[in-house]
Amino acid sequence: MTAITVSGLTVAYNGHPVVDDVSLEVPDGAWVCLIGPNGAGKTTVLRALSGAVPYRGSVAMGGSDLAGLGRRAASRIVAVVPQDPVVPPGMAAADYVLLGRTPHLGYLAAETIGDRRIVWEVMERLDCADLAERRLDRLSGGERQRVVLARALAQEPSVLLLDEPTSALDIGHQQHVLELVEGLRRERGVTVVSALHDLTLAAQYAERLVLLDRGVIVADGSPDAVLTEDALSRFSGAKVEILRSADGSPVVVPRRQP
Amino acid sequence: MRRFASLVLVVALVAVACGDDDTAVTTVPATTDTTTASSAFPVTVNGVTIPERPERIVSASGAHTEILFAIGAGDQVVATDTFSDFPAEALETGKFDGFNISVEAVASLDPDLVILFFDPGDVVAGLDELGIPTLLFGPPTTLENAFDQWLALGAATGNVAGAEQSVRAADEEIAEITAGLPIPSSPLTYYYELDPSGFSVTSDSFVGSLLGMLGLESIADSTDTAFPQLSTEFIVESDPDWIVLADTVCCDANAATLAERPGWDQMSAVAEGRVVELDDSVASRWGPRIVDLVGDVAETVYGPNG
Amino acid sequence: MTATPAPLRLALLAGGGLAAALVIGLMVGPASLGPGEVLAEVADRMPFVSLDSGLSEREASILWDIRAPRVVLGMLVGAALAGSGAAYQGVFRNPLADPYLLGVAAGAGLGATIVIVFAGPGSVLVPLAAFVGAIAAVVATYGLGAAAGGRRTGLTLILAGVAMASFLTALQTFVQQQNTDVIREVYSWILGRLGTAGWGEVRLMLPYAAVSFVALVLHRRLLDVLAVGEEEAGTLGVRPALVRGVVVVAASLAAAAAVAVAGLIGFVGIIVPHTVRLLAGPSYRRIVPLSLVAGAAFLVLADVAARSVLSPAEIPIGVVTAFVGGPFFLLVLRTARKGLA
Repeated sequence: MTAITVSGLTVAYNGHPVVDDVSLEVPDGAWVCLIGPNGAGKTTVLRALSGAVPYRGSVAMGGSDLAGLGRRAASRIVAVVPQDPVVPPGMAAADYVLLGRTPHLGYLAAETIGDRRIVWEVMERLDCADLAERRLDRLSGGERQRVVLARALAQEPSVLLLDEPTSALDIGHQQHVLELVEGLRRERGVTVVSALHDLTLAAQYAERLVLLDRGVIVADGSPDAVLTEDALSRFSGAKVEILRSADGSPVVVPRRQP
Repeated sequence: MRRFASLVLVVALVAVACGDDDTAVTTVPATTDTTTASSAFPVTVNGVTIPERPERIVSASGAHTEILFAIGAGDQVVATDTFSDFPAEALETGKFDGFNISVEAVASLDPDLVILFFDPGDVVAGLDELGIPTLLFGPPTTLENAFDQWLALGAATGNVAGAEQSVRAADEEIAEITAGLPIPSSPLTYYYELDPSGFSVTSDSFVGSLLGMLGLESIADSTDTAFPQLSTEFIVESDPDWIVLADTVCCDANAATLAERPGWDQMSAVAEGRVVELDDSVASRWGPRIVDLVGDVAETVYGPNG
Repeated sequence: MTATPAPLRLALLAGGGLAAALVIGLMVGPASLGPGEVLAEVADRMPFVSLDSGLSEREASILWDIRAPRVVLGMLVGAALAGSGAAYQGVFRNPLADPYLLGVAAGAGLGATIVIVFAGPGSVLVPLAAFVGAIAAVVATYGLGAAAGGRRTGLTLILAGVAMASFLTALQTFVQQQNTDVIREVYSWILGRLGTAGWGEVRLMLPYAAVSFVALVLHRRLLDVLAVGEEEAGTLGVRPALVRGVVVVAASLAAAAAVAVAGLIGFVGIIVPHTVRLLAGPSYRRIVPLSLVAGAAFLVLADVAARSVLSPAEIPIGVVTAFVGGPFFLLVLRTARKGLA
């Protein structure tokens, strides 16, 4: 069963295509990671998948056309962790995470004890329960990133879109968060599409990498297949060396030319 | 009778009453003959010098329009403002907007004397610069003040005798009205309504002083302002002996509509019809119709006099 | 960071404040009704209680026909102004949004003036015209602000509102000048008429107030969702444009009804929601309902001051709220300036 089917996706800003004729199929419970240089269109693809930007082509979630689903129905399936989330001044972290329950509440309904319990549990799992009463705008970058992820998880989605979810986290928390996502994938079959620029981490967690360059897919396959020194030098302009870790997954190491 | 003997003194008082910095000296002769107009000019009234008998008077004051016509200067008036609606002849003069008085609008009428009762922003200064004699009168506070203004207009327009006569006649009529009134030893109280939101007058105001001559005292006298807005509760609780309405025309106030206001039916004056209904403009001006004002109130309060 | 006070405690505080304001409002005034007598008279009206309050028929009439409706109207108008202020602040993400500053009140004034000129002050069209004027003004202000400087610029919206208010007030003055025969009625309406209110005005305002208060309270959670911006709110399943539209209509209905019945009373929509925000935190789930209650209490107390300070003369209530609100507004501007672009 394919969770996500993208066909001929094109997104243009001011007539200039940022994502150009992208097609992709993501099976249920898979983890696909979009990689590529800045401006390749990774964020735009994610935004199109969440219905946040107009697009040409088609996007289907769980067999249903995304455009045909109402916004509410879509938000019960897809949750997004944006790269630069809006930080409402003065809002407490717990209240922010509670916003994640919105798709499951009626238009005018108020939150229930059950909703609050879910918020509490999610924050516990992400190790940010102690931040509950603190103001979101006063948290450190890493603390805030975990809270934003908590909000997405509180939506209880079947598809999780993560745009650079670990960029502000220290290495310990990076692993913690990615393990958590992996755990969700295993327990509940959540499908994950992420954009990560740490290629080594991407290779460790995602079973499939999609390399984008200037809006076009240039490579799509297993980490081993996609992460070649050749490809990386061509598309990101970096000189790298691909090593192997103990469990066989590729490690991308920048190589300094003498 | 009081005014007749001290004419010169009265005209000198005009300057004081109208608050000008100049000490005005008049050259109006102290006789009662109808002297020829030319010998009375040039004349200085309120510090303003009028070189010759004005033949193109422009009045931007409803009260002074009435006075001008009463003292015999009607033929000399060429234009009045839209608020000057009495006497009927005033309606036949040229009309200009009384709400937005501008120097250009007035000057374009080619006046040789302009009468104002407030200066809406440097109009006086503008007219002065154009060399047009302009008289700015403030509202009077007593009957004497009002008569002073009549006489001042008489001097300014070359109708001294006519003004004196009007003053004398009005004075006598008012004296006649007030004489023989069964004025009680403790004054009758009244609530005077300027508009339905509760604006009232104290006994120190012009109309208050007129009503005072009839033995009436305003319930607003306990306030400090001249035109206080009174609270409805206070009006009802005071239960004045009389209610005097000066907003019958603008705002449809009369004995019947008063009874419809919440809580007003509890006032004995409303229940027993002790309401004096005045025409708005009669109540707010100080021309010859102040006699009607005093007469109407006296008749309503004390019954028709012999 | 400290936790915000428990919702129950806040609700009790607000409710208690309103009850106290109600009692003070009934007891204090230029007419010398003794507090004990007032209480006895009120108790007498309760079912199954029969007391002789010692008030004369006239005094009882002053209490029930003049003072009581004035207090109740003060509550409705205060709640409407504060509630709509809180709602506008939530919709526009701007701490300075309030019906006065957005030009909503001026729009309501213009609408009402036009109808008064053609149909007289007693026409039932007056509140409706006020509402149409209010909606038109807020839409125009928002459009002007968005066109001038981008949606995120909070200051632009306020400047647009001030410009719109000036424009609409100028139009209104023009209409008045062209129709000087009704100018007195218009001024009397503009300067506020809590002072001559009876139960008729209360009945007139009640349905509009009830509908809009219910709508505002029901949307309080959605106002919190709007805080994360257009795009993220969308991914949470909310249509921000729809929510904004409904809330603006409800808030404008409340503000227009208040202006139609009581004239232009400023600053309530700033003072009250901000004080509530300071005490109860930034969540609109609390700010909206608490503003309604606190706004009611505030205006009742302001009205007590308006009729008592210079007794028996009245101070127009807009003067009292401006007196408190002016310095308060400067304070808010100082602290809020960091949040505005």
